[in-house]
Amino acid sequence: MSSAGIDKVRDWILGRHPGRTELALDVNIIESRLVDSLAFVELVYTIEDAAGIEIDFDAIDIEDFQSLATIQKAFFA
Amino acid sequence: MHAVSYTAQWMAAARAQESEREDALFVDRLARDLAAPKGFELIERYAGGGLLPFISIRTKYLDDAITTVLAEGDIQQVVLIAAGMDARAFRLDWPDGVEVYEVDHGPLIAEKRRRLDALGAEPRTDRREVSADLTGDWLPALEAAGFDRTRPTLWVAEALTFFLTEEQAAGLLRLLASASAPGSQLAFDILGRALLRSPFSKPFLDTLAADGTPWIFGSDEPEEFVAANLWKVVDLHEPGQPGAGQGRWPYDVQPRTRRGANRLWLIRAQIASA
Repeated sequence: MSSAGIDKVRDWILGRHPGRTELALDVNIIESRLVDSLAFVELVYTIEDAAGIEIDFDAIDIEDFQSLATIQKAFFA
Repeated sequence: MHAVSYTAQWMAAARAQESEREDALFVDRLARDLAAPKGFELIERYAGGGLLPFISIRTKYLDDAITTVLAEGDIQQVVLIAAGMDARAFRLDWPDGVEVYEVDHGPLIAEKRRRLDALGAEPRTDRREVSADLTGDWLPALEAAGFDRTRPTLWVAEALTFFLTEEQAAGLLRLLASASAPGSQLAFDILGRALLRSPFSKPFLDTLAADGTPWIFGSDEPEEFVAANLWKVVDLHEPGQPGAGQGRWPYDVQPRTRRGANRLWLIRAQIASA
């Protein structure tokens, strides 16, 4: 079940980058600019939808959003 | 030159790049020469995060605001506040009888004039340069150039409010209101607060701060902010909406009720009636 959730997040990121077909769990999505500052909010909404949770924007820890692996650990574990 | 002058070159570089696109939202043939020496370097330095499309969409939105307001025929006096390397006086179709005041600090005005003269650029309207310190009392300099506060005015403040504190931004709107005859309008932009607080924006915001041009002010309630400072919003758009770069904005437009969304407000306001 947790794998289905992170797959939705992966699909959303890949959907923004038509030239890209794969995204490994450990790729840093911020440094590689796969998710930029304005797309970030859409990433949060995607995680919320996939995980069925609400994320507090005022308490966001950027370390949780570095890669699919950190997202999985923080929101789908 | 002052740090803010470099951001004027950055804006000009962004306009030059837009002008060279096949689907350009506008064409500014002077922008490339006005962007030197730092403009294109800053595009690289501040790359990412939707800035270039935003600059283009904002320019086009304000072009349209100027055209729309002047076509109504009641306003013939336009003031570009912190005009920077703006070349609208040279590229828009201006109705007869319109005066355009470009206000900025003296060294920038002088450098811009030197470049425009070298290019042989001819304004397409009655263009008047106003050298003034925008952090001081600059209305007397504007009036000395011919501005008449008893006539209605269109004020344009592009890419300005986020360099101010909230108090300064409020003060600017009130200052403009103090010199606005009935029927005056204001076209400008405000950042959303979420954008300024997001940890994802931090590297970019830190770079701006290190360059001496920090982004400070933003609001998630632009109508309230504007109304509290003697104006009334008559048009409000976010990039990506119809009339504001629809099809050119690489992000979803989020409903107003959505929490935490990054907002960029494009605004036309009218002076509140006394």
